[in-house]
Amino acid sequence: MTQQNFKRNCLIAATLAAFALPLVVRSATYLHILIILYLYAYMTTTWNLVGGFAGVLPLGHAVFVGIGAYTSTVLWLQYGVTPWIGMLAGGVLAGAVGFLIGKPTLKMRGAYFALSTMAFVEGIRVMVENIDMLGPFNLNGPRGLNIPPLAHGEVNFWAFQFATKEPYYYIILTMLVGVLFLTWAISRSKMGFYLKGGGEEPDAAQALGVNVARYKVMAMVLSSFLTAMAGTFLAQLTLFIYPKSVLTLDLSFELAFIALIGGRGSIAGPIIGALLLRPVTEFSRIYFSSTLPGLHLIILGVVLIVVMLFQPRGLTEPLTNFFNSIARRFDASAREERK
Amino acid sequence: MDLVFIAQDCINGVLMGLIYGLVALGLTLIFGVLKVINFAHGSFLMVGMYVAYWAVTLSGLHPYLALVIIVPAMFLFGYWIQNLLIRPIFIAEKNVREPITVIIVTTGLWYVLDNLALLVFGPDYRALAPNPLKGQMLEFGEIFISVPKLYGAIATLATAGGLYLFLQRTRLGRAVRATSLDREAASLMGIGQWKIFNIAFGIGTAVAGISGAVLTPFYNVYPTVGIPFDIKSFVIVVLGGLGSIWGALVGGVIVGLIESVGPNFMASTWTEGIVYALFLLVLFVKPSGLFGQKQDW
Repeated sequence: MTQQNFKRNCLIAATLAAFALPLVVRSATYLHILIILYLYAYMTTTWNLVGGFAGVLPLGHAVFVGIGAYTSTVLWLQYGVTPWIGMLAGGVLAGAVGFLIGKPTLKMRGAYFALSTMAFVEGIRVMVENIDMLGPFNLNGPRGLNIPPLAHGEVNFWAFQFATKEPYYYIILTMLVGVLFLTWAISRSKMGFYLKGGGEEPDAAQALGVNVARYKVMAMVLSSFLTAMAGTFLAQLTLFIYPKSVLTLDLSFELAFIALIGGRGSIAGPIIGALLLRPVTEFSRIYFSSTLPGLHLIILGVVLIVVMLFQPRGLTEPLTNFFNSIARRFDASAREERK
Repeated sequence: MDLVFIAQDCINGVLMGLIYGLVALGLTLIFGVLKVINFAHGSFLMVGMYVAYWAVTLSGLHPYLALVIIVPAMFLFGYWIQNLLIRPIFIAEKNVREPITVIIVTTGLWYVLDNLALLVFGPDYRALAPNPLKGQMLEFGEIFISVPKLYGAIATLATAGGLYLFLQRTRLGRAVRATSLDREAASLMGIGQWKIFNIAFGIGTAVAGISGAVLTPFYNVYPTVGIPFDIKSFVIVVLGGLGSIWGALVGGVIVGLIESVGPNFMASTWTEGIVYALFLLVLFVKPSGLFGQKQDW
């Protein structure tokens, strides 16, 4: 087995194991935790498309989660449009908003982009909290929207509602694998190289004739579109959305933190970040929320600061090195056998 | 509409706006020298408010007299934070003028500080206990002026004037300005870059401490009190021009006026949205703000 083959086999084994997991994990609670874990891994991966590859710092990605959640829910409640189409509609709307934010600010200094993304998420939250009707669309202000759960016999694929957790599990896992594949394809494409060049050495890339700002805007639009799809999924999973649940700075920051701790700009980074940090959040919420409120946020903040100071490329780098050394050993032993 | 009400709202808006400007002053000063935005500034204000609260509660001093404790304590806090957390980033990313990692680390610091306050002091809203300024009003005919806000506005002008004189007239102030203009050239002239960074961060934090002392007599203290001020300060500094002292005050007054006069024309919850919209408008149309320099964006 060569090093390359070993890595590919590991990847395939991990994917198959993830798909087979519901055969072993029967508890709805644990499945739900896994679903949330994958959802975060998905959202941080889409964050990483712009935050990692384009080398800027979006701090308002919750705005796209919110747009995705609200668009599909409004279309379903008022017009009976299946959330699958709502998902795409939300994505398109979010992409347009992403363009609106990115176009003027992505050519400015990093801080301005970070600030304007924050202003957008706060501004849109204020807007949704203050209006009940946006034109013909009922957003129901701060009270949010309730998706009435269907009876067991009526649930089906088109309604995006299921009686058990397994379908949600497979949907989000498929979405995650898909977005990971897309990230991988982009990182090997011309766009990926331009983005990386523009993120690391903007002046050099500019001098070589790369329109850095244009590729950053493209990454932003794509990231917004994909993040909004997660919003629709979240709405269908929880069946209840309100401004303070999907349009918050907290969610925006958490996504950024997870991706940054895992390793911005690497494909595995957001996954590793979510795998390491989501359990910390879940367990401290379950066990310490009454005695030590906010503990998981302190942990998150401290880990972020320490990682940024000592391992600024994220935790993925040392883990990858460790994995590579194992892969190399396989390679070496294979060579021994051949002799 | 009654003109007296509008006049009353305008006075309130200007006073409160100047206090917003004071909070933003610390942020703009740090930006002016380090060229980075301290995202934890609101949390520094929160720390300042708790320091003020405890200094007054434990010693029974007048909140403005407690400044002799608050200002040095907050200065040292900022000096230490820059030395411990921000300096290593500048050293690691030597060839980057304004490393984005600083934003990330200060955002992490924001989370740590806010939640530590929640852990230590609990979620209670605390009002200053021996509060000599509580609810005092000056009466001019039909117009009422809140005394603690008036004092706060005066403190803002005094702080801004003091900072201006410090930067223009003293040797250290000149060194700070030199570092802000060109780090390398200033270093060559024998100005220690790190010492100036520490001092600028210390002063910015001390100003957050002054804002804390000014706010506690009429504003409750709680762990997330910094967040609304944090975001408002970002808006104000961009509005006035990043790095500009007077821009921060003008930006503050604009935001204060929108907040106090706005509710005459719309639901009061909308004013926040207007402020963000104005912020985005400035960002898109004139990113250098009202008083900023072109190279600063």
